[in-house]
Amino acid sequence: MVTEEEIKKVAKLMRIDIDDYIEYVDKVHAMINYFDILDSAGVEDEEISMPEIPISNLREDKHIPFDQKLIEKLNHYKGTYVRAPKMSS
Amino acid sequence: MTMIGLEIHCQLTNLESKLFCSCKANYREFKINENICPVCMGLPGSLPRLNQEAVKKATIIAMALNCTTPEKIAFFRKNYFYPDSPKNFQITQLNIYGDTSVGGAGSIMVGDKKIRITRIQLEEDPGRLIYEGSSSKNQITLVDYNRAGTPLVEIVTEPDFETPKEVRDFLNILSDVLTNLGVANPSLEGAMRADANVSIEGGKKVEIKNIGSFHDLEKATHFEITRQESLHSRDIEIIQETRHWDDKRKITVSSRSKEEELDYRYFLEGDIPWIKMDSAIHTKLQSEMPESISSKKERYVSKYNIPTQVADVLSSDKYYSDLFEASHTESNAKEVANIITTDLMGLVDTREKREASKFTATHLKELADSVQSGKIARNSSKNALHEILKTGKDLSTVVKEMDLGNVSDESELSAIITQVILEESQAVEQAKSNPQTINYLVGKVMQKTKGKADPALTLDLLKKQIGI
Amino acid sequence: MNLKISALEYVQEVKTGNISAEDFVAKTIERIQNVDDKLNAFLTVNETSVDQAREIDKKIKSGYKVGDCFGMPISIKDNICIKDSKTTCASKMLENYISPYDATVISKLKQQDAIFVGKVNMDEFAMGLTTEFSAYGPSKNPWNNDYVPGGSSGGSAVSVSAFECVASLGSDTGGSVRNPASFCSTVGYKPTYGLISRYGLISYANSIEQIGPLTRTVKDTAFMLNMIAGLDSNDNTTIDNKNEDYLSGIESGIEGKKIGIIKEMIGEGIDPKILSATKNAISKLENLGAICEEISLDMVKYSVAAYYTITATEAGSNLARFDNLRYGYDFPLEGYEFNSYISKARCNFGPEVTRRLIIGGFVPSTGHAGKYFSKALKVKMKLTKEIDKIFKKFDLLVAPTVPILPFKLGEKIDDPVSLFLVDINTVTANLTGKPSISVPFANSNGLPIGIQLMADSLNDKLLLQAGYALEQTVSLPEVPL
Repeated sequence: MVTEEEIKKVAKLMRIDIDDYIEYVDKVHAMINYFDILDSAGVEDEEISMPEIPISNLREDKHIPFDQKLIEKLNHYKGTYVRAPKMSS
Repeated sequence: MTMIGLEIHCQLTNLESKLFCSCKANYREFKINENICPVCMGLPGSLPRLNQEAVKKATIIAMALNCTTPEKIAFFRKNYFYPDSPKNFQITQLNIYGDTSVGGAGSIMVGDKKIRITRIQLEEDPGRLIYEGSSSKNQITLVDYNRAGTPLVEIVTEPDFETPKEVRDFLNILSDVLTNLGVANPSLEGAMRADANVSIEGGKKVEIKNIGSFHDLEKATHFEITRQESLHSRDIEIIQETRHWDDKRKITVSSRSKEEELDYRYFLEGDIPWIKMDSAIHTKLQSEMPESISSKKERYVSKYNIPTQVADVLSSDKYYSDLFEASHTESNAKEVANIITTDLMGLVDTREKREASKFTATHLKELADSVQSGKIARNSSKNALHEILKTGKDLSTVVKEMDLGNVSDESELSAIITQVILEESQAVEQAKSNPQTINYLVGKVMQKTKGKADPALTLDLLKKQIGI
Repeated sequence: MNLKISALEYVQEVKTGNISAEDFVAKTIERIQNVDDKLNAFLTVNETSVDQAREIDKKIKSGYKVGDCFGMPISIKDNICIKDSKTTCASKMLENYISPYDATVISKLKQQDAIFVGKVNMDEFAMGLTTEFSAYGPSKNPWNNDYVPGGSSGGSAVSVSAFECVASLGSDTGGSVRNPASFCSTVGYKPTYGLISRYGLISYANSIEQIGPLTRTVKDTAFMLNMIAGLDSNDNTTIDNKNEDYLSGIESGIEGKKIGIIKEMIGEGIDPKILSATKNAISKLENLGAICEEISLDMVKYSVAAYYTITATEAGSNLARFDNLRYGYDFPLEGYEFNSYISKARCNFGPEVTRRLIIGGFVPSTGHAGKYFSKALKVKMKLTKEIDKIFKKFDLLVAPTVPILPFKLGEKIDDPVSLFLVDINTVTANLTGKPSISVPFANSNGLPIGIQLMADSLNDKLLLQAGYALEQTVSLPEVPL
């Protein structure tokens, strides 16, 4: 059961302001409900793994500066710092 | 019983490039936001490229701290929003699916005490924040991403420390070990940071963050123990919480209580496959590791007969041991060690002084050899060292310019001795009957030569001239 | 000038001098101007395309070496970065974002003298099946403008199918290339995971997605693959395909190959027309000498739930970087505190993306530990084991790409779970990393039906041979445009 309270909490966690929580409750509830089907998959014993590569495939430790002044392409404010809002104390 | 545990973050600034891209690992010389690229800025579509050398260096650290090293290592995402984190997640290591951090359980001796290491992990440093504006109304946060992506090794210890002093000692030893391995430079500003957790009488654990230096760490842990003991003695409950160190007021302060619990939603980093670390790699890395501090110390004591305390200083500071290794010979080792630890040490006690010093291993070898062979007296060698450190001139030039050389020319010395014998006829007679008293005459020769007479030669020639 | 030619035909015509790149590209741009108002495939059109084509003609005339594309006009899904171009992911969050670098696939195609005529529409951040979740309006199916073109690479499929370009690059996370390819009657390809570099593809679910070509013929797809596949140092997840040539031997046929018919993909809920087309395809495959047999992949019934759980989690993390601080849209930060600013800025995500982000915050969270995300990962592991076992005995697998016919715009937009299930036949290839192709096979009252083939990892060459063989058995009507 997905409550409005839970949606509020998660929206905060994901940093998204939602105007109308009620609108989301139903759809999110339907989606999460559907996921309950996973309970009957019988996969408790499966082990998680990922593809492996040898350490020799990894990038060589070399300093190669990026070929452009990247900060100029992203942000035109205040010198070259990126500006962010004040942090709450 | 007081229990203190540490979480130390050490930057691998000796690497050439960042953990996931080819920007420079040591960001300190760059202008604001000029050491960035699409990867460390987390631009849309960018992907991390793991630094091979970083994995090796982190593994070497794990080995030096006697940690277990896994067969494969994995990376995870720690998700949280903060302006210094361009992706709003940090790529770090965890052990959710077996042991997959670069280092597992290990230990290190601090004096007679064994401090257990819980784990060692490789992760990326975020950028740096600066706060602008005086009133809270106009305040803006300024972000410099030059540091974002710098490779960090996080070392977590068990809460085995019982006093702040133990913590301080441990950090000094750890700094020496890391410097000796050549993987980091803890003396660089911000290169090594630590958080602590403190509990007393088996009570709740309090975490302390935002500690700027090791000096502050000692103070912070001391304060926190006192704070907890005070609460305990008044039967007030110690809350499990995170506090931060307020450097101005020199106290720990409760961090603003967060309404939502920190939920990092950890999961595997899909952009980085698991890395196979088989025994062949481990063997190779082990063989490439520089000699450990304790091994050096042992060697200095047993092979060169260097006193334990001297060997301690020499071995634990890489600057000194490097100098020693490059300048010593079988015969002059003890003298080299001596010069370093008595004369040189006071002159190079800071990073800046060491960088400015022009005193090289070649200089040191020459100096030691000259002192041993009597060409220059101990006092004079100290003066010579001072001068060389400043100017870099070679020893013979300095000796000449400052007139420091021992008088070891036989004829020159003989002439002076003859003079002394003439002037001190009574002492000469005494010496003939009581050979012990000849030292008075040696002293007189020393006076005349301003201490530069070669003592052994002087005694020899005196005896000859007097006829004893 | 005939725009209705394949990529290989185009290259041949330009090489032999029968047509000039400039003429063809100019006609292509004209075509876009004529039809795209109705179809809404393009988000941005490259104004310099004709100039670039002219330069290539010059190169050809002066005998300089020209890349394999000879100025071929290609459309690019708007989640693939082109340097100094707008890349919006069909979102208001990236309204004015200009990428400072090229995706690897773009660099490779640039080297081959391809011309990018424009960026095409998609579901916002690739989350959707119909392009209806684009912040810039849905694209329309060229076969019937009231119907969805499929998604999320809807713009890609439409632009190829409507002759607004010769080929397109899309991205496939759960069927997003194959599904619109099937709905618009083009070839759609999802390679083995790791075959094509994702550097420059704006991530949605990075552990399972791949860039894939949409083309008019299977040979064209092989041609594209030859140019863009291969190890890339910019992407640690790419694998070594040993410079495989996917075009050579593509006509080898499938004599003696064993093909498994995935029973869970032709079961309950399948449209009877789709079922009959599938049966038809199977008999065609058998006529070509293949041996077809029904097989079961039990985990398929959990695959959609697993897929949406995993992708929501990854999306929740991949889209966290869009906080409007370093790039994004115009929204001054004075007067705001950090968390309130970014929470407000992120309101510019559309409703579907917002829903997925909520799910993505929910399912891996410590409060529901083990329940959803962990189970989904385990389903992924088990499904992969199941399919690996099947591929020990079978060379290929077959099923319809989508179990239902293209549907009308607006029909499924309010029912998320019903929309989820459109993916049921395609997510398996993504979850297991296996290559998969959708080949246009039939047409039911003007609505296209595609058949899907799958092969084992790194068997892309065989898959293309099978796709080609199947393609040659049918002759389909032309799009009514």
